[in-house]
Amino acid sequence: MNGRLRQVLPHGVMLAASVLLYWAATGIDADTGGRIGPAAWPKAIIVVLGVLCIWEIVKRLTAGSAPAARGLVNALSHNPAEVAAGIEAGSAPAPDAEHPRKLAAGIALVAAYVVAVSWTGFFVATVLFLAIFPWVGGLRRPVLAALLGLSGSLVLIVVFMRVAYISLPLGEGPFRALSLALLRAIGVT
Amino acid sequence: MEVLTHLAGGFAAILTPVNLLVLAIGLVLGMLVAVLPGLTLVMGVVLALPFTYKMGVAPALILLTAMYIAGTYGGAITAILFRIPGEPMDVPLLWDGYEMTRQGRTALALGWSLVAAFVGGIVSAIVMVLLARPVASIALSFSSPEFFAIVFFGLASVVTLSGASLVNSLISLCLGLLVASVGVDSIYGAERFAFGVPFLLDGIEFLLVMVGAYGIGEVLTRMNAGFPGGAPAAPDGEPRFRTAFPRLSEILAMKATFARATISGIFVGIVPGAGATVSSFVAYGLEHQYGRNGRLLGTGAPEGIVAAKSAATASVGGAFVPLLAMGIPGSGATAIILAAFLLHGIQPGPQVFVSSPLLVNTVFATVFAGVIGMCVLGYFAIRPLCKVLDAPEAIVSAFVVVFCFVGAFAQRNNVSDLYVIAIFGVLGYLFERFRFPLAPLVLGTILGPLAEGNFMTTMVSFDNDWTVFFTRPISGSILALSAAGLLWPVARALRARLRKESPR
Repeated sequence: MNGRLRQVLPHGVMLAASVLLYWAATGIDADTGGRIGPAAWPKAIIVVLGVLCIWEIVKRLTAGSAPAARGLVNALSHNPAEVAAGIEAGSAPAPDAEHPRKLAAGIALVAAYVVAVSWTGFFVATVLFLAIFPWVGGLRRPVLAALLGLSGSLVLIVVFMRVAYISLPLGEGPFRALSLALLRAIGVT
Repeated sequence: MEVLTHLAGGFAAILTPVNLLVLAIGLVLGMLVAVLPGLTLVMGVVLALPFTYKMGVAPALILLTAMYIAGTYGGAITAILFRIPGEPMDVPLLWDGYEMTRQGRTALALGWSLVAAFVGGIVSAIVMVLLARPVASIALSFSSPEFFAIVFFGLASVVTLSGASLVNSLISLCLGLLVASVGVDSIYGAERFAFGVPFLLDGIEFLLVMVGAYGIGEVLTRMNAGFPGGAPAAPDGEPRFRTAFPRLSEILAMKATFARATISGIFVGIVPGAGATVSSFVAYGLEHQYGRNGRLLGTGAPEGIVAAKSAATASVGGAFVPLLAMGIPGSGATAIILAAFLLHGIQPGPQVFVSSPLLVNTVFATVFAGVIGMCVLGYFAIRPLCKVLDAPEAIVSAFVVVFCFVGAFAQRNNVSDLYVIAIFGVLGYLFERFRFPLAPLVLGTILGPLAEGNFMTTMVSFDNDWTVFFTRPISGSILALSAAGLLWPVARALRARLRKESPR
């Protein structure tokens, strides 16, 4: 994909979203008796959002690297000694390489945890999550990961359900029975 | 005198064994989250919130306030010793604090940061006590146009003061305001953006946005970077965990620096939307511009440490003023403290000084005690605090995700909320990836209902006459100030462009 087109992608997506949201806002209905209605506020924000996206898209496609308006902290976030010595902001070492596979696996794990926690209950889902997530994150010690998952989940169950009295998902079917047995074992009735 | 009597009541409230224990736990947790690079102060306070659901309101507020205060200090230690800013507010400490370490003056750098945090924290606590009640009295005379103008000012400041592009900040803010408008509107009961999904009718809680964007989003961002945590070696080998205080004469010689930093920190803290990070950078910039040794900043000058640290800690007291006096959070952490108030059925604002005076003074006393406790911990606990940097980041992050899930679920016992935080987690990562600042999104979600509520009330009360916002003196002045703030970065960019284009 062309570099500039890639640069405008996020604003293009948001512009499309703002068009869809405006369309959704036209369907907001209420009897207002001539007063300002419940759609006015979100519509105004969507219009501002759309205009900002169009502005940024046009600017990025046409103006290239013209100085952009930035907030105050940006102007202050450089070491004055380096600036005085002529060291350009942004000449710092490049950030570490990206790990897209790791990221994708992380997102998939978080999504799987969301689904699993209501089906298997907090305990089982958390044992698996605490064991797998560090492994995906680069910790290649399976015994430690397994111990971490099991002990971490037990400690968290005790802390949350027995100490902080927080109710957590118990799961369905046999997982529910397992969660209830575990709770009985740690003295939560 | 009356103020002191009330404050004494607040101290009496925190001097119970349980509350003192909660205070100590809050201080330790605050220090820990500030030291760990993958955990931010706001994230830490968010993650602690579920533990307060079943607590009484006083211990809940003590815990979160103590975390907030200590969280402004912990990162200074790792910034000075290891060049790891635990929090964004500690970046200026790299320029002078770490530079002092490289010059073999680590102990003195730690001493200056401790003195600066103490002075900034205590002075801002005094100002908070003196200012909150009068501000609340003034706020009692405000009507919806004035409240709308104040909220608008907060929203404008978070955009003006951010380090990101103005357009991206405004886009982020608009998205936050739109998220806040999801659900049934409070005036007409009309459904908005629910798209037939039942749980969206209840709206999207700002806490879920914060937990997702700050918590899971940060974990995903660091995962994409390959979890680059860990403590590097100190420049001269083994780090020295000793603190050496400067002499009183040296402190007195720097009184102007202390004054500038503390006053600017309190002021920035009061501005809704700006917190410790902005305070730290602004004070550092002021010191560079107006300080006697301003030109030495960045070369290991103690003035740089004092400016950044005094202001960051001073912002805490400042941020409590709009929260307690008007119910408007001045920072991300005070937004969570607002949530803790609301979860216990207490609405901060002008009336809280009448309805719950003891609670207000308990918060005041916690700020004083927290600053002192933070300094004690900062003196004695440097070595164990630095030990947590050895914890593998992948393990810490796994626990952060679990805490995020528990925090999100426990509020309403609704599994759907877990989907919401996962979505905002991915959105938080994308924001970071494409350089959209998160703070306006989050603040838009927090202040959106307040802004819309006051806007709609004004329009209904004044027969759809929008000019009332500009014709009433207070709201008009605040809106003009907000507009000036928003236009200022544009003017700077235009000036930069003209300078670039003008022939030499």
